[in-house]
Amino acid sequence: MNKLKLVFNQTMMVSSAILFGLGLEALITHFMGDDKYFEWQWYIPLSIIATGFLSSVPSILLVDNEKLSKRQAYVRVILHFFCVWGIVMGCATVFDWYDTVAGFLIISLMYVVIYFFVWAASWWLMKSDEKKINEALEGIRDEE
Amino acid sequence: MKVELEYVTTEDDEKATLKVREVTENIKSAVDMLENNCRSLSAVKDNETYMIRTDKIYYVESVDKRSYVYTKENCYETRYRLYELEEMLNADYFRCSKALIVNIRKIKSVHSELNGRMNAELLNGETIVISRSYVKDLKRKLGL
Repeated sequence: MNKLKLVFNQTMMVSSAILFGLGLEALITHFMGDDKYFEWQWYIPLSIIATGFLSSVPSILLVDNEKLSKRQAYVRVILHFFCVWGIVMGCATVFDWYDTVAGFLIISLMYVVIYFFVWAASWWLMKSDEKKINEALEGIRDEE
Repeated sequence: MKVELEYVTTEDDEKATLKVREVTENIKSAVDMLENNCRSLSAVKDNETYMIRTDKIYYVESVDKRSYVYTKENCYETRYRLYELEEMLNADYFRCSKALIVNIRKIKSVHSELNGRMNAELLNGETIVISRSYVKDLKRKLGL
């Protein structure tokens, strides 16, 4: 159940991140080239959700990593990074999201930025929890 | 056992008298509760039975269906199962993984890890793991 919930949450998160990336690209295009409108093929919104879902599946790799050593956990994260990158770029190719090398590079760059942003945000939240917990423990800790 | 309560006006006048045929484990626990405001539980070390005050316990661990009680420097085996101990121990304790219950007052600090779990350093220098799924419980316990 936890795994299903994780995949669902990740699908929502990745789909939103892709939409955010596309929105950002459209915004930049608008300011650079004065494009007021751009068209999407009928399947693009669904392809975003499909990519979100497929790229969430490898997250299952990271679910049961609590018993792993720090080194093994890092290896899994690196594996996850490349695995998801392969899925995103595979989907981008199949769904015809790019047609030039520059397009390929832009999507790859967007992926890297979003991936690290999500990790950095998660890390910041964890550190924030750590700080709050340590402050709360300060008040109730026994003297030894 | 019949219990009679007589109300007094000051704390100095508070006194408990127990009339018993023999001092059982429950009686010892009740005495500890009245005298020290915490209960005790029986545990064995080197074939000798000890009454361990719950405020002296750092954590309780279950290994191969046996439960072990850890104090600052000693380890005792207890006949109670982990779920029974969870009910017996007071609000200062919380389950931090499937096999471990820790006394929050004995946690010196917590440190988050990449995989979402936390390491808790105890006042005696030992480190235990707080599983990712139990971090929420710790925060709730601390009112965060």
